[in-house]
Amino acid sequence: MTKLLITEITRMGPAFCVIGLQREKDKIRSVRPVTAGANSWLHFPYQRGDVLQCELAPFSGAKPHIEDRVSTCGFQKEATVPEPEIVTFLRKAEIAGSLPDLFGCVLHENKRGSGLHALPLEPKRSICGTETKNLRLELCANELRATLVLSSGEVLRDLPVVDRDWRDFIGAALVEGRGANRIARLERFLNSQFHYKVLSCPHHFIRLGLTRPYHDLCWLMLDTLFPLPKHEWLEEF
Amino acid sequence: MAPLTDENRWRRVVEECFRREAGAHSAILDPAQDLIETGVLDSMGWVSFLRALESATGLNELGALLVERRPSFESIFQAFKAAQIASPSPETDLPRASHFARGTAVFIVSSSAVVGSRRIPSEEVDRAFGMPPGKLRSRAGIESLAYAAEDENELTLGARAAQQALHFAECGVPELDWIIATSETHRVYPSLAAQLHSQLLARENCGALDVGGACLGLVNALAVAQGLIASGQAQTIAVITSDVHSRTFKPSQVAGEFAGLFGDGASAFLLRTKNGAAPQQAYALGEFFFGCAGQYAGAIRVADAPNGNLEVHFDGEALSRAAITRLEKVVREIELRSGIDRSSLQGLATHQPNPRLVTILAKQCSLPEEKFPIVAKSFGNLGSSTCGVALDALLRSAQGQMAKQLGPLFIASLGPGLLSVEDGSPPRSSSHRSQGCDL
Repeated sequence: MTKLLITEITRMGPAFCVIGLQREKDKIRSVRPVTAGANSWLHFPYQRGDVLQCELAPFSGAKPHIEDRVSTCGFQKEATVPEPEIVTFLRKAEIAGSLPDLFGCVLHENKRGSGLHALPLEPKRSICGTETKNLRLELCANELRATLVLSSGEVLRDLPVVDRDWRDFIGAALVEGRGANRIARLERFLNSQFHYKVLSCPHHFIRLGLTRPYHDLCWLMLDTLFPLPKHEWLEEF
Repeated sequence: MAPLTDENRWRRVVEECFRREAGAHSAILDPAQDLIETGVLDSMGWVSFLRALESATGLNELGALLVERRPSFESIFQAFKAAQIASPSPETDLPRASHFARGTAVFIVSSSAVVGSRRIPSEEVDRAFGMPPGKLRSRAGIESLAYAAEDENELTLGARAAQQALHFAECGVPELDWIIATSETHRVYPSLAAQLHSQLLARENCGALDVGGACLGLVNALAVAQGLIASGQAQTIAVITSDVHSRTFKPSQVAGEFAGLFGDGASAFLLRTKNGAAPQQAYALGEFFFGCAGQYAGAIRVADAPNGNLEVHFDGEALSRAAITRLEKVVREIELRSGIDRSSLQGLATHQPNPRLVTILAKQCSLPEEKFPIVAKSFGNLGSSTCGVALDALLRSAQGQMAKQLGPLFIASLGPGLLSVEDGSPPRSSSHRSQGCDL
């Protein structure tokens, strides 16, 4: 049996992609449990911070998703770890401070438009944690995008935000029942309080991931943003 | 960019941006159709498409206006209309209200360029920096470098260029309202603009302004000058660049792979409104656009070291990639904004980090290399003066040609931290041509 601390739950169309941390001797590394037939889970009733018992079999997934492991039986919840502690563990896992170090390869600018991508065979991993100097979330049409500065000073723009909890929070903020000017109120929140609540949080941390190859490119995305949004923040705007 | 005064123009911009994302031969769907649901664009492509539109139209909040809207052409046009209602402008139907759109044309009435008077074969520079002879020639394509002679510096080179430009325009120094100078190597006080002011004996109430930006200093300075003239605060401005790298990048202080690329030179441009006695044939400045590509921040860092040396962190491969990708993007962007096809260009005054990159850029842009004046190959990278020397060469080659034969010019540059800045000369306009000016 493997003990897995769930750290990422991300949206992948109608399904979820899950990543957890596994201790291996003195190392902590990321592992992505997948089903035998798919890379994602249509139903995943657990939360980040849950410690799950599971059986994971090695799986020769396509590069760069070397973290993939097939889950051969169900999950069994064992404990829950509080948010600051999750980040403590994440800081001990894959981490980098500059663009080329994130995935051990060159990240290319989209020549036609926005976003960054890697060539599928080049990255040495598909997930990496990093500290940020600044971060901004923005709604572009109906898409949630992040712009951030790494500790190296490099700026990443228009990263798709796939963090399930943040996407749900934004969805909840725009629910019709919340009254008039919802978009403007949300924008105000993202431009002001968000900064104080997220960037000044002692366990502010992000993880960036690469999509599976799509038209031969793996796009960079914001997988996880800590702290996670609190439901009561919705009352503030 | 010219004002988007009619729906056809809107449509052209939308269609061009769309085809960049969806492919050059993509069919334009029914306006009401959902671009994501139909699979024409994915969410990445949709956002990329909107970002391109934001940049091309100046409507920076387009993405925000489309929240909870269907991803379709119809929604985009509705958002344009909503933006127009929110901030109506008598002259433009979209927020980008440039000086050009208001009809205040600013002309380059004369130009000049000088380079350091010592011409050094690149093999000699290789040896001086302890590199194998032939490295600069074979790796970067540099055949020789222009180095300042002992009695030359930023001030003397800049002043010489300025005096020539004034002479060509038959313009007296007292006519200058501003001297705007830029240099990536002049680091002492009085500043370069102030020293040039004294050297040229300008009027006491002629302003002296130094503009930064390193290799894109010229474009920054031209944009500032354009703003001053267009706002009515000045009629005649001298924009001067001057860079003497050979004294800053000494073999004992900086690695040759970086320092060996640079030479010394200066350029000067005299700018005026059409009221300010522009000659019969002059290029007008078009719209500038600027940006900052922060993802390349790690590619080059230059800082003062405690021992007085320069600490240079230089990732040549990343810089080359950035320069090519960005400059090519910029050329495409200028095309989109100005409506000028690159095939009609008289030439491009771009930054030239080294001659190899110019060759690659020309290839990427599907343009003959001759459209890019030779600067770096003969003189080295001249910093802020590279664009200046190239622009001067293009303006000079245009002299004597019939106005009707002249094509527009593009200016594009990149600087440390990789700011990207561009100027798209506007398309020919009948109203301007009737006054004897060629755009």
